Amino acid sequence: MSKDINKSARIKLLISRIVVYGILIFLAFLCLFFFYLMIINSTRSNAQLKTGFTIIPGGHMLDNFINAWNDGSINIPVGMKNSFIVSSMCAVLTTYFSALTAYGTYVYDFKYKSLVHIFILAIMMIPAQVSAVGFIQLAYKYNLTNKLWMLIIPSIAAPSVYFYMRQYLEATLPLEMVEAARIDGSSEFRIFNTIVLPIMKPAVAVQMIFSFVGSWNNYFMPALLLNKAEKKTVPIMIAQLRSADYSKFDMGKVYMLMLMAILPVMVIYIILSKSIIKGVTSGSVKG
Amino acid sequence: MSVKKVSGNKSVSYARYGYLFILPFFVVYAIFTLYPQMLTIYNSFFEYYRDGLTIVGPNYVGMRNYVALFTKNSSGYIPLFKFLGNTVWLWLLGAVPQFVIAMMLAIFFTSTRLNIRGQQFFKTVIYMPNLIMASAFSMLFFALFSQVGPINQLLVEMGVIDKAFNFLGVRVTVQSLIALMNFLMWFGNTTILLMAGIQGIDESLFESARLDGSNATQVFFNITMPLLMPIFIYVLITSMIGGIQMFDVPQVLTNGIGTPNNTSMTLIMYLNNFLGTSKNYGMAGAVSVLLFIITAILSTFVFKTINKK
Amino acid sequence: MAEVTIKNVKKVYPFRETDKPKKKGLFKKTVEEPVRRNNLERTADGVVAVQEFNLDIKDKEFIVLVGPSGCGKSTTLRMVAGLEEITSGELYIDGKLVNSVEPKDRDIAMVFQNYALYPHMTVYDNIAYSLKIKNTPKDVIDKKVREAAEILDITQYLQRKPKALSGGQRQRVAIGRAIVRNPKVLLMDEPLSNLDAKLRNQMRSEIIKLRKRIDTTFIYVTHDQTEAMTLGDRIVVMKDGFIQQIGTPQEVFDHPRNVFVAGFIGTPQMNFFDGELILKDGKYYVKTKGITVELSAEKQKRLHEHNVQPQEITLGIRPEHLYLSPEGIEGTVDVSELMGSSRHLHLNADGKDIIVIAPTDEADEGFNGKTVHLSFLGKSAHIFSKTDETNLEY
Repeated sequence: MSKDINKSARIKLLISRIVVYGILIFLAFLCLFFFYLMIINSTRSNAQLKTGFTIIPGGHMLDNFINAWNDGSINIPVGMKNSFIVSSMCAVLTTYFSALTAYGTYVYDFKYKSLVHIFILAIMMIPAQVSAVGFIQLAYKYNLTNKLWMLIIPSIAAPSVYFYMRQYLEATLPLEMVEAARIDGSSEFRIFNTIVLPIMKPAVAVQMIFSFVGSWNNYFMPALLLNKAEKKTVPIMIAQLRSADYSKFDMGKVYMLMLMAILPVMVIYIILSKSIIKGVTSGSVKG
Repeated sequence: MSVKKVSGNKSVSYARYGYLFILPFFVVYAIFTLYPQMLTIYNSFFEYYRDGLTIVGPNYVGMRNYVALFTKNSSGYIPLFKFLGNTVWLWLLGAVPQFVIAMMLAIFFTSTRLNIRGQQFFKTVIYMPNLIMASAFSMLFFALFSQVGPINQLLVEMGVIDKAFNFLGVRVTVQSLIALMNFLMWFGNTTILLMAGIQGIDESLFESARLDGSNATQVFFNITMPLLMPIFIYVLITSMIGGIQMFDVPQVLTNGIGTPNNTSMTLIMYLNNFLGTSKNYGMAGAVSVLLFIITAILSTFVFKTINKK
Repeated sequence: MAEVTIKNVKKVYPFRETDKPKKKGLFKKTVEEPVRRNNLERTADGVVAVQEFNLDIKDKEFIVLVGPSGCGKSTTLRMVAGLEEITSGELYIDGKLVNSVEPKDRDIAMVFQNYALYPHMTVYDNIAYSLKIKNTPKDVIDKKVREAAEILDITQYLQRKPKALSGGQRQRVAIGRAIVRNPKVLLMDEPLSNLDAKLRNQMRSEIIKLRKRIDTTFIYVTHDQTEAMTLGDRIVVMKDGFIQQIGTPQEVFDHPRNVFVAGFIGTPQMNFFDGELILKDGKYYVKTKGITVELSAEKQKRLHEHNVQPQEITLGIRPEHLYLSPEGIEGTVDVSELMGSSRHLHLNADGKDIIVIAPTDEADEGFNGKTVHLSFLGKSAHIFSKTDETNLEY
C-alpha cells in the first residue's frame, strides 16, 4: 500500500520535472534564438541571406565586419567611441557621486538631513522624459547640442544609485569606523576616499556595470541631443538603420552592425553574469 | 530648537561636511533636471513651436495645450486617450505573460521538491535580453520579421504560408511583436525579483503548512502569495511606470510612426514627435506634465507598499 | 602622558524633527542608534545626556567610567575624543582648552567596542594608517608597527586582513592601532564587551600588563563593575547623565555615596533593608527586622559630625558581611549555591530576596528550605536616607 503511494508520488514528481524542464528549455530557447539568428546572419553575405533561412554560419563574418566598420553613412567606430566615452564617464561619475551623497546623508548630522533623504527618494521615480522638454530647449538655446558632456554630467545626480549606495552603507559601514579614522588623523575627504570607497567596492562595481549598460543602451535623450554624425552614439546609429531604406542595404552588414552594438554589453554580461544577477535583487526591491 | 553654544566656542561639528558632500548632487540636479522640469511645466502653458523657419510664440495660452490633448482632433480621436491607451494596451500584452511566467518560474526555482538543476544557467539566459540595447533588439526583430527576413523565409520553406507575410503592416502582428520583445526583455528580471521575494519568506512557514496538510496549490494561495504581495505589487507598479515610458522598442520597430495607423504609437513616441523638427515645446510640455502626474500617482503606491512592510 | 581636566561639561542632544524609525531597507541594518534615551532629563533644548561633569585626571592615571547603559559614560568619552560636540563646559588636555580642536589634533587614540578595523586593509596597514596620514617616514612606520605588534603578540598576523582574525586578535589589533602613535590619552570604549567571558578575563589582565609597558593616561568606559574595580586607579560611577561618585575602587566599594553606587558596585549585589536609625544616649544604632546593632566608632563620629537626626533609613549590607547567628533577621533559604570556597544562600525574608555568602563549614546543602537568622557588625552597615538615597555619613 505505502509502496504504491511512494511509487505514484515518484512518478508524479518525474512528470512535473519533465514539464518544468520543458518549459525552461523552451524559454531559454526563445531568449537565445533571435540572437543566434543575428549572429548567424552576420556571418552570411547579402547574397546568401537572400537564398533563404538557415542556421548554419556563412563564412563571411570578416567581410561583413570590414564593410560595417568602413560604412560611409553609419560610422560605427566613431559611434562606439562616443558611446564608450559617455558610458564609462557616466559609470564613474554616477557611482562616485552617488556614494559621496549617500555617505553625506548617512554619516553626517545636519539640519535637513532626513528631508534631503526623503526628497531624493521622492524624485527617484520621476521619468527622465519629464525633464527632456526643458533640457532640449535649453540645449538649443545655449548651443549645447552635440556636446557629449551634456549626457555625462547629469549622471552625477542619480537618485536610484544614491538609494542603493545608502542601503549598502547602512548595512556595511559602522559609524565607529569613520570615527576611528578621524582619531587616526584622517581628513573627512580622505576618510571617504581611502576608507569608505574601498569598503563600498562591491556596490560600486555593481552600479558601475548597470550604469555603463544603461548609458550604452540609452536612446531617447541622446537621439534628441545629438544630430551631428561625428557625435552620435551607437543606439542612434542603429535606429538610423531602420529609417534608411533597408532593402538597399547589405543585410549581412546590418546584422553585423547590430552585433557590434550589443557585443560590449554581451561580453561584460558573460564575464560578470553572476554578480549582475545578484545586483538585480539587491538593487531594486526587497521589503 | 537648537542648542545655544558658549559664545566664542567653535565646535567640532561635522555638519558642514554633510552639506559639502551632498552639494554636487544637488547642484547638478538643480541645473540639469529640476530647472528643465520647471521649464517643461512652464512651457506647457504656452504656444511655442516652429513652423518651417519661423518660430511661433512663446504666447501664453493657459490650458489650451491640455485641452487639445483631451479634444477630438481632425483624425477623429482624442490624442491623450489614444496614445495612453496604446501604451497601456501594449504594456498589458507584454506584462500579463511576463508576470504569469515569471511567477511560475520563481516557484519552480524555489521549489525544494522540484530541485531544479542548472538554475544559474537558466537565470543567466533569461535575464540576458534585459541588458540588450532595446533599439538594437527592435531593429533585429525588424530585420528578422521583414518581408525578406529569415522568419518569412522559414515559414515559407516550412509551408506554413505560401508567400511572405507583412508582419509590420498588420496591427495584430506589430503589437504582438512589441509585446513579445517586452516580454523577453523583462520576464527574466521579474523572475529574479519574485524569486528573491519568495526566498525572503521564512522557510519554516512552508514546512509547517506542509505538515498541516496543505498541498502545493494551497501553499501558494495561503502562504506564498499573501506574503509575497508587497513585493509583487512593488514589481508590478515599477513595471507599470516603466511601461508608461515605453519608447525604444515601438519607436525603432515602426520607425517612429506607430504603424499601422498610429495603433502602436506610445505616449513617449507622441512626445518625441513634438520634439522633432517642429520643436513644439508647448504641446510636449503638456504631455510631459501628464506623464509626470501619472507616474507620481503610481509612485505613491510604490512608497505605500514599501512602507507597509 | 597628559592631564585631562573636565570642567562642568554638559551634553545635550537636540530633539530631531523626525525621530521615526527608518524604513526597512534592502540590507539589514547593523548600526545602532547613537543615543539611547532612558531616564535622561529633557529640557527645551533636547535630551541631556551628561551634565555637571567635573573630573581632574592626573597624568598616567587609569580612570574608569562605569555605569548602566545610557548613563552618559560613552558620551563623555566621545566628548573627550572630540567625536561629540561639548554643549557647554570646558575640556583641557595637557592644560590646553580643546573644546573646538578636532580629534586628529588632540593627540588621543581610541579603542572601539566593535574594534572598527578597516576591513580592506591588512593588520599592518590598519596599525600604520595614522602614521601614514602624518607622512611618517616608511622605516619609522615599520619600526613602530612592529614594536606595537610585538607588545601585543600579533606579529605573525601582520599580513592578514581583520576578517581572518578571531575576536581576541582583532581586539589586539585595535589596541595596537591606538598605541602605535604614543597618544597622550588612550580612550577605550567598552573594549572587552564583544569578547566571551574567558577571553575577557584574559584580555583584562593583558590590559593591566599593557598599562605597565606604555606610560600614558587611560580613560576606560565599561558597564561591567568587575572591570572597573580591577583596572581603575579611580573609578567614576555614572547614572542618568550625572556622576554618582568618584574614588578609588576601595573607596567606592567601602563608602558608596548613595544607594545606586552601593547596589551597582560589588557582586553579588548589596542587600537592602528598610530600617531605622536610632540615637540613644549619644550613640547611633540601626534597627531592622528584629535586630538592633550599634554602629562602629568611625561611623558614630561621622554621623555626629553631620548631626544626623534619627530617621527611617535604607540599610545596606553586603552579602559577605551578613553572618549566620542564633537570632536576627529571619529568612528562609530558597537556593543554596556552592561556589567552591563559600556558599551563596538566597534567602526570602518577608518577601525580600537576600543573598548571604557563608563559609562552607557553616552552611551545607542541608540548608535548603531551612529558616535561619542573620546578623551583621556595626562597621559593615551602610546607612542611606530614605528620602534622597544618599549615604548619611557624608
